Amino acid sequence: MLDALKDIIRKSSIHVCLVNSGGCNGCDIEVVALLSPRYDLEQYGIYVHNNPREADVILVTGAVTEQWKENLRRIYTKAPEPKIVVALGNCPISGDVFNQEGGCVNAPVSDFIPVDAEVSGCPPRPSEILEAILAVAPGAIAAKGRQKE
Amino acid sequence: MILPIGPIHPALKEPLRLKLKTQGERVISAEIDYGYVHRGIERIMVGKTWQKSIYLAERVCGICSYIHTQTFAETFEKISDERAPLRAQYLRVLTNELDRIQSHLLANSTFFKAVEHETLFMYMLHLREPVMDAIELLTGNRVNMGWNVVGGVRMDVKDVHLQQIMTIMNKLEVEYQKYVEMYEQGPLMGLRSKKVGRMTKEEAIKARAVGPIGRASGLKHDLREDHHTYRDNLDFKVIWRKEGDTFARNMNRFDEIPQSISLIKQVIENLPEGDIRKKVEIGAGFGEWRNEAPRGEVTYMIETNGNLINNASIRTPSIMNIDACAKYMLKDVATVSDAIAAYASVDPCIACVERVVIVDEKGGEKQFQGIFDIK
Ligand code: SF4
Repeated sequence: MLDALKDIIRKSSIHVCLVNSGGCNGCDIEVVALLSPRYDLEQYGIYVHNNPREADVILVTGAVTEQWKENLRRIYTKAPEPKIVVALGNCPISGDVFNQEGGCVNAPVSDFIPVDAEVSGCPPRPSEILEAILAVAPGAIAAKGRQKE
Repeated sequence: MILPIGPIHPALKEPLRLKLKTQGERVISAEIDYGYVHRGIERIMVGKTWQKSIYLAERVCGICSYIHTQTFAETFEKISDERAPLRAQYLRVLTNELDRIQSHLLANSTFFKAVEHETLFMYMLHLREPVMDAIELLTGNRVNMGWNVVGGVRMDVKDVHLQQIMTIMNKLEVEYQKYVEMYEQGPLMGLRSKKVGRMTKEEAIKARAVGPIGRASGLKHDLREDHHTYRDNLDFKVIWRKEGDTFARNMNRFDEIPQSISLIKQVIENLPEGDIRKKVEIGAGFGEWRNEAPRGEVTYMIETNGNLINNASIRTPSIMNIDACAKYMLKDVATVSDAIAAYASVDPCIACVERVVIVDEKGGEKQFQGIFDIK
C-alpha cells in the first residue's frame, strides 16, 4: 500500500537539476525553452530548479572540464536516492567538437557518474528532451526507489 | 560574512561562483570566480582550416552563437580583402537581428525569474518561441545555425519564408508593447529595479563595459554604427540611456527589440537580388574584426598562413560586463536578492568568458591576454 502510494507520488513529481559541466550553453537554453508556455514542462509534473539536494533527475550538459572532474561526483552524491542521470546533447556523450587535440575536456560523462539515458543532438530539440525525460524518468525513479527499500 | 553562491545554485543558470561579502542583509562587495567551463577553443583552432574552425567558433556561446560565425567569416574576408555579396550581407543582418531579439528576450526573462516575477518570465519565453521559429525557417536550426561561410551564407531564402518571417515580426511588434508597459509602469518591478546596482558613466568607462550594459550607463557606443552593411544601406540609430541602474539595463534591451524588428523589415523589403556566396582566395596574414553581439562587442584576432590558422584569439563581451558588475554594481546593495537581480540584469553568459589565468610563481596572478601570450 505504502509502496504503491510512493510510486504514484514519485511518478508525478519529478524535480530536475541542470548541471552545465562545460558546454556552449546551447543545450541549457533549450531546457529553458522547455519552460515556456508552448512546451509547458510543468504540466507533466516536472519542475526545473538547480538544486542538487532536491533533485530526482540530474540533467548533465557539457563535456566535463577540468574543474568539473571532481565536482560532478560531489554533486551526484548530494542528490537523494532514487535518482537518475540524463546526458543531454553530444557534449556529455562524446565531447562533441571540443574533444580534439588541444581541448581541455574529459568526456564522456559516464566515466565519472552512471548515466541512465542519453539524448543526442547539438543541441537536441526541446521536444526530444521532454520525450527523453518522460520516457525514462517516472518508471526508472519508481523502480530504483523500490530496489533501495 | 562571506556568502558563497554557486557553482550550481537555483539562482544561477550557468556554473560560476559568486562570493558576496555581506553585513547583515547588506552586500558590501562581491567577487566572481569563473573557470568552470573552460574548453580551450582558441587552442583547438590552431592548425586547422577555417572550414573546421567555424563550427568551433559557433560553439563559443550557445545564446549568441550566430554572431561568432559572422565575425569569424568577416575576419577571414578582411584578411583576404574581399567582401561578401550584398545579398549575403543583407541575409547576415536578418539573422543577426533575429538572434538579437531572442537573446534579449531570454536575458530579460532571466531577470524576471531572478526577481521571481513568474508571469513576465513566461510572457517573455512565450514571445521568444515565434522568433525561434523564424530562425528555424531561415536557417534550419534553432540554436547552432551553421549559417555563415567565408564569402557569404550557406543557403538562399525563399520568398514564402520571408513573408512568414514578416508576419511573425508584425505580430511580435504588436504583442510585445504590452509587456514593456507592464515592466515600465509596474510599481513592484520599479521597486526591485530602479536605483539598484547603479554604475555611472565614468565607472562604465573604467570597467570597459560594452553592449546594453554600457549603453544603459550613458556610453553611446554600438559597433553596428560602423559596420559597412548597416552604415551604407540601413537606417539605424544607437539606443542608450542615462540612469545606469538595473531598470535601465532591462529597458535598454527592451528598446532595442523594436529597432531590430525595423531592421529586419528593412532587410526583407529591400533584399537585393544576386549571389549569396562567392569564392574567396584566403590570403595570408593577420586580421582583426569587431562586431556587435547581443551583449556587446566581440573581437576575433586571427593569424593565418593562407590555409591553416596559426593563432586565434577571441574576445567576448561578457567578461568585461561581469567584471563591471562585480566591481561597481555589487557594492553597497541593500539586500542579497537585489544583488542577484543586478547580477541577472547584466545578462552574464559564462560559456564565453572563460580564460586561462597564468600564475607566475613569484609575482602572483597575471591576466591572460590571449593566445599570443604563450611563447
Ligand atoms: S551539445 Fe552542442 S549545443 Fe549542447 S552544450 Fe554541447 S556544443 Fe553546446
